[in-house]
Amino acid sequence: MSVSTVTKDQFKSFVAALVDSDQKVVGVQAKDDKFAFGELTDADNLRLDYDVTILPPKKYMLPQKETLMSFKVGGAAQTVQPDEKMVLIGVHPYDMVAINQMDTLFSQGQYDTHYMNRRNNITIIACDVVTPSENVFASSMNTATCDSGFDILLTDIGDTFVVEAATEKGEALVKTINGAKNADAADTDKRKAVQDKNVASLNKHQLECKPSDLPDLLEKSYDHPVWEEKAEMCYSCGSCNQVCPTCYCFDVQDEVNWDLKTGSRCRSWDGCLLANFATVAGNHNFREKRADRFRHRLYRKGKYVPGKIGGQIACVGCGRCISACTTKIANPVEIYNTLMEKN
Amino acid sequence: MSKPRVAIFDFACCEGCQLQIVNLEEDILNLIDVVDVVEWREAMSEQSHEYDIAIIEGSITREEDAKRLEVIRSRAKILIALGACATMGGLNKLKNNFDDLNEVRECVYGKDGQMPHLNTFKTKACDEVVKVDFKIHGCPIDASEFAQILRSLLVGKTPFVPDYPVCVECKANENICRYEYGEVCLGPIIRAGCGAPCPAAGRECYGCRGMVDNPNVEAAQEVMDKYNLTVHDLKQKLVLFNSK
Repeated sequence: MSVSTVTKDQFKSFVAALVDSDQKVVGVQAKDDKFAFGELTDADNLRLDYDVTILPPKKYMLPQKETLMSFKVGGAAQTVQPDEKMVLIGVHPYDMVAINQMDTLFSQGQYDTHYMNRRNNITIIACDVVTPSENVFASSMNTATCDSGFDILLTDIGDTFVVEAATEKGEALVKTINGAKNADAADTDKRKAVQDKNVASLNKHQLECKPSDLPDLLEKSYDHPVWEEKAEMCYSCGSCNQVCPTCYCFDVQDEVNWDLKTGSRCRSWDGCLLANFATVAGNHNFREKRADRFRHRLYRKGKYVPGKIGGQIACVGCGRCISACTTKIANPVEIYNTLMEKN
Repeated sequence: MSKPRVAIFDFACCEGCQLQIVNLEEDILNLIDVVDVVEWREAMSEQSHEYDIAIIEGSITREEDAKRLEVIRSRAKILIALGACATMGGLNKLKNNFDDLNEVRECVYGKDGQMPHLNTFKTKACDEVVKVDFKIHGCPIDASEFAQILRSLLVGKTPFVPDYPVCVECKANENICRYEYGEVCLGPIIRAGCGAPCPAAGRECYGCRGMVDNPNVEAAQEVMDKYNLTVHDLKQKLVLFNSK
C-alpha cells in the first residue's frame, strides 16, 4: 500500500471535511490538563501531539456499558447489534497493539458479534507518539511502534505527516486528502528516525527482561511475597483494570422495564481487582483476598492471556495503570523486576 | 394478581430522597401502574395500615420514632431504607460525635432545647432498629437507581447494587482523579452506583453512599502521606456522612 506526505494544514482540512460529512469522527482532544478520545466536532480540537489518553480507545469496541439484547420476561430475546460506522483518529501504537490483541480474543472461540461488529465498523487512523507520557514503557514491551491493525498510520515529521495507507479503506480515505503527494526517500528516512527514537525512548520504566520471558518468570512466582506486600495498599478499586487497553472482562446484568414484561441484557466493564469479581452462585468467591486479586491481574497480562494469543504479552506498556493507581502499587514493570530479583 | 401496596414514610431527614421519587416525573405514571401507593405524606393525603412494601426515608433519633418504625416493620413484608439517613444515619449522625447530647440540643435550639418534644437519642440507621431488606444509597438517592431497584423487586430479582468503589465509575467517565488536584476524595472506599457526579463536577466524593463492604481504610491512611495530606484531613471528610 502507499506512503505519502501531507502538510499539517492539508491534514486539518481533510479532518474538517470528515467532521462535516455524515461520518462519525472520533479523535483525541484535551480534557482539562489531560487527553481523551471523544467525538470530534471541530478539526481544530484534534490533538495528535497528546501524550496518553485517560481511557484507551477500546471504549469504542467494548463500551463501558452496552445493551446486548432485549427480551420478554419468560419469552423471546432479540439481539441488539451495533452498526454505527466511525473514523477513529489518533490511536498510538501501543493501543493499536492492544486492539489487535482484543480482535484476536473476541474473534476466537465464541465469536463476539457485538465487539466485532463495532470493530469492523471503525476505520483507524493511528499515529506515532510525539510526546511520551510520564509512565510509558512501550519500548520495554516492543510496542513503541506498530505494523498492523490500522487503516492509516500518521507520523509527525515536523510540518508534515508521513501517511501510510495500509488497507483499501485507508487508501480510499488518503485519496480524499487534497495535496497528498508520494513520500520520497527523505520523508521515509525522517519517519524511520521518529520511529527508531520511539523504540528506544518510550521507556520511563525499564523491564529488566524480555517480555517473552514473563510467562516463565510468573510460572515460578505464584507464592512470591510481593503479592501480599503490594496488596496491603490495594483499595480493590479496579482503576488499573478500567484504564487498561487489554482488560476486557465484563459483567452482564438484566434490567427490566416499567411494564415488568420486557427488559434488556446489558454488559459493562468489570475488573479482576474488584472484591466480587470472582463471586459465583452460592456467594463463593474464588479470589476473596486482595493479594489473590492483585496477583491475578499480573498473571493475566504476563501468562494467562499470552497463552491465548500466541505468546504475545497482554501488557502494552501504556503506563495508564501506573498513573491511575492512587496508592502507586500497580506498576507492572516494578513488580516483574522484583520477581526477577528474588528468583 | 393485585398490585403490591407501597407506603412511603419519613423520619429525621430533609425529605429530599422522596423528592427524588417525585422527580421521576412522567415515570411516576409508570410507577403507579405497577404498584398501589397507599401512603406517602409528601405526595398524597391518604393513609393506610396495610402495605406490602414500606419505604423509609430518614434516620431514627427519638424513642417514639423507633416504636413507630417497629410498627411499620411489623406490617410490611419488605422494608426498604431510602437514602443516606435511612441506610446509615447520614448527616444526622454528626451529633453522635458529641458525648453530651444536651450540649447539642442547646447548640441547635438555644434555651428551647430542653422542651420535651426535642427529646433525642444518638442517631440510628434503620437497620440499627429493625431488619432492613434493601438499601437504596445516596444523599440524595438517584431516581433511576430507585426505579431500577423497585422494578427488580417487583419481578422477584435481587437488585444489583455495586460493592465496588466510586473510582470504577470515575474511570469509566474519564473524570480526572481528585487526588491529582491534592484533594481528599473518599471515592476509593465509598460504594459506587451514583455514577460519580461529584468528581465529574469537579468536587471530591463526600461518601454519601457509605463505605464498600470491605474498605481498605489502612491504605487510605497511608495515601494521605503520599499526597501531603493528613489522616486528620481524611477523618474530617468521613465525619460528614460516615460517623458512627
